[in-house]
Amino acid sequence: MPGPLLDVHDLKTQFFTPEGVVKAVDGVSFELNAGETLGIVGESGSGKSVTALSLMRLIPPPGRVVSGRVIYDGNDLTKLSESEMQGIRGESIAMIFQDPMTSLNPVFKVGWQVGEPLMLHRAESKAKAFTSAVSVLGKVGIPSPADRARDYPHHFSGGMRQRAMIAMGLTTTPKVLIADEPTTALDVTIQAQILELLRNVNREFGTATILITHNLGVVAGMCERVMVMYAGRIVESGPTEDVFAHPKHPYTWSLLRSIPRLDADRHEALKPIEGLPPDLIDLPPGCAFHPRCVFAIERCKRDTPVLNRVGETQLAACWVTQSGTELRDA
Amino acid sequence: MLKYLVSRVIATIPVIIGVTVFTFIVMHLAAGSYVPGLDLNPNLKPEDEAMIKHYLGLDRPLYEQYLTWMAGVVHGDFGRSMIDGSLVSRHIGDRLPATLELTVTAILMGVLISIPLGVTGALRRGSKIDHALTALSVGGFAIPGFWLGLMLILIFSVQLQAWGMPFLPSGGVMTPGTGGGDPLDRLVHLIMPATVLSFVYLSIWSRFTRSSMLEVLSQDYVRTARAKGMSGRRVVYLHALRNAVIPLVTLVGLELPSLVSGGLVVEVVFSWPGIGKLLYERALQTDYSTVLGITTFAALLVVLGNLLADFLYALLDPRIRYA
Amino acid sequence: MIDPVIVEAPPVATPLATRRAIQSYWSAAFSRLRRNRIGMASGALLLFFVLVALAAPLLARLITHTNYSSQDLANTFANPLSPGHILGTDDLGRDELTRLLFGAQVSMGIGFLAVSVSLAIGATVGLVAGYYGGLIDGVLMRFVDIILAIPSIFLFILMSILFKPNTVTLALIIASVGWGSIARLVRGEVLSVRTRDFMVATRALGARDVRLIVRHLLPNVLHVLIVFGSLYLGSVILIEAALDFLGLGINPPIPSWGNMLTNSETFFFHSRWLVIWPGVMIFLAVLAANLFGNAVRDAFDPRLRGE
Repeated sequence: MPGPLLDVHDLKTQFFTPEGVVKAVDGVSFELNAGETLGIVGESGSGKSVTALSLMRLIPPPGRVVSGRVIYDGNDLTKLSESEMQGIRGESIAMIFQDPMTSLNPVFKVGWQVGEPLMLHRAESKAKAFTSAVSVLGKVGIPSPADRARDYPHHFSGGMRQRAMIAMGLTTTPKVLIADEPTTALDVTIQAQILELLRNVNREFGTATILITHNLGVVAGMCERVMVMYAGRIVESGPTEDVFAHPKHPYTWSLLRSIPRLDADRHEALKPIEGLPPDLIDLPPGCAFHPRCVFAIERCKRDTPVLNRVGETQLAACWVTQSGTELRDA
Repeated sequence: MLKYLVSRVIATIPVIIGVTVFTFIVMHLAAGSYVPGLDLNPNLKPEDEAMIKHYLGLDRPLYEQYLTWMAGVVHGDFGRSMIDGSLVSRHIGDRLPATLELTVTAILMGVLISIPLGVTGALRRGSKIDHALTALSVGGFAIPGFWLGLMLILIFSVQLQAWGMPFLPSGGVMTPGTGGGDPLDRLVHLIMPATVLSFVYLSIWSRFTRSSMLEVLSQDYVRTARAKGMSGRRVVYLHALRNAVIPLVTLVGLELPSLVSGGLVVEVVFSWPGIGKLLYERALQTDYSTVLGITTFAALLVVLGNLLADFLYALLDPRIRYA
Repeated sequence: MIDPVIVEAPPVATPLATRRAIQSYWSAAFSRLRRNRIGMASGALLLFFVLVALAAPLLARLITHTNYSSQDLANTFANPLSPGHILGTDDLGRDELTRLLFGAQVSMGIGFLAVSVSLAIGATVGLVAGYYGGLIDGVLMRFVDIILAIPSIFLFILMSILFKPNTVTLALIIASVGWGSIARLVRGEVLSVRTRDFMVATRALGARDVRLIVRHLLPNVLHVLIVFGSLYLGSVILIEAALDFLGLGINPPIPSWGNMLTNSETFFFHSRWLVIWPGVMIFLAVLAANLFGNAVRDAFDPRLRGE
């Protein structure tokens, strides 16, 4: 098999604000293979969305991709000109966003918006693009697509809008689809449908999918591999099953333990992670998680851990687990 | 929908009544039962005076006089001048077109220039051009309109003429004697006053367009558009601008009530034969009834204009109908 | 090619976890104001005008050694920098600089007085209407509607021919229209604040209406008043100048920047400067007021800035 589809190497993105420099993405490296589903998990502020936006070079000022390489199809995306990048966006790498209510332009018809990538990248006429849009809308499960395509976004329900957004991302059959919290703004029942849709899309079209979310359940249902981010860095990655079964980073471990379970004893206390996420302008020295970590040792306060192999299939950035300690309840 | 419209109309009635009551009261405070021309006749006997007043209905109880006034207003009769007895409504009819010519042109100029200025400021936010445009609009708002008019006249009319160069006329709608048929002549007369009047609109609206544009550019759908691989130009002029001008339209709509009154100072400075200038002239002659008649007319226009705007909003936005 | 600037807030982690200081609402606004250089500069300019206005008689005595009405018909239309008259003289030989100094008194005096009265009346009406709602609200807002329906410039002209104003009454005339917009603004703000939890809680503690309005509601709508007031000052100065210019405001011999420009076109060939000085003064004063007003507005809500 040829090399990975997307090869990200030590990506760093920072925001230069009056209050200081926000290190939103602080040295992220990973690979995405063709047809693969990768989940990026983390809290708000962990840097997961910024990572995706950095890949697409959609970081707004005062932010900037400061260093790193993003190799796609032999090119380093960080070095391309803006117009070359425009040729890739929506064509080879598509991105859909969290809030379908605000992510669609209210003054244009849905069919026109969905067909727009074809007008842009394949020089199709408005009519032809519209027809293609109708067929894609049908494929993502929107009933009577020909009629719906002539509606405006505010006529659509939340779930339908998200389907329309997914359709919009698929019209050019991109190689990579990045979905930034696609289900967060939706009802639980609709969430399941959208995830099902994304799974089907991945199977049918072979589109590599990066799914960004804070919801572990979503990852479990959808992604082959998962990356856990904290304070702008990857703290753990590996096959989803393995990471969930035996997490190799205290943060992942605490996250999984904090989820309330249906089969737990009714009087059992919930186990939240103590403390608050760090200030990205003023990160603590050493491991960013150490103030909240129950396993922290002296070294954690001094040295920033590096992502290394722990166990057969997983990578983790933790001194404790890298030295062989198993994570278990005290 | 009908219920909404009816409720809006009902809400407007007290305002209309209030305006007419107000002008009526002022009229009486100012002029009492003054009759034009009455005191010019030295031979007038008291009983003749009483007879004339009776004929004109000035000895009736106040509320009756008010009702007569109200009835007149509803029929478009805004009273008569205290100086010469002429019908206010006739004056309004004579002068309204000139005023509208001026104010409508100014508003159009304002819109057509504000949009490119605002978009440029938003796109080049923080740059020298942006700062210059912001300075221009803040400065433009601070310049007194009458002074700007004066200066323009002095430069483009008086000074140019003194230097023997082609110059702009210093006032009026047209060159006397041409009968208003020559469009170029009218344009040359229109250009300075319209520019002065549009100046204030420009300064406000260009900044507003700028911030509206910035707001739109920060919206999620703009990010989506960029993610689709669109060129910046298309994002701005197709996707963003369409949304950014909507609030501007609202703002321009708010100016419509001032179509009649907004040009007063400009009309005076440029001797433009409009309603504002008429009111000013009559005010200097303490012709209260004309002043009040015109004021009532203008106020009613404002009220009706607002009502119309309410109807249009309801038409455009279904949510408002059921508020 | 213009690359559109997209404005988004950068992702900053929860401030609670930081070690940076937290400020109160007012001190945060004040420090934002202090950091705004243009705002501070224009505030200083405004203050300068106020001081000049207050000290006009003193300054006249010290600098120009004359008053605003002493004529010198032998020395009309003197140029600037002529002996004894730094800025020249007008058509009756009166010293221009002195007249400008006293003109500042008129503009600043009427400006601040009109704004204060408008704010006071408008705030009271807005608070009462917004708080009590119902019939009181309906009646008060109808009054406001009526006032706002009549074009203000017509109303000003009307009132000035009725009352033949002096400085104070002119300020009151201008204020009689201005309070309407403020009342609407305050009422809107009250409506949004009134339903907030702390209001209900204070009520539950037994606080009475007046106390609620004055001690709890008012401070929360204060920022609206401050912002509007500072922005309104510039407009008042412009309105007042226009009325003077039209001969319907302050009339000679009391100099105001507006009435110094009345009939000034006829003087154009005698002395260009007469047309320039008063206009420049008005421009600078209004500019200072507007810029300062913008800075105040930005200080209270930096989100609106987009600058």
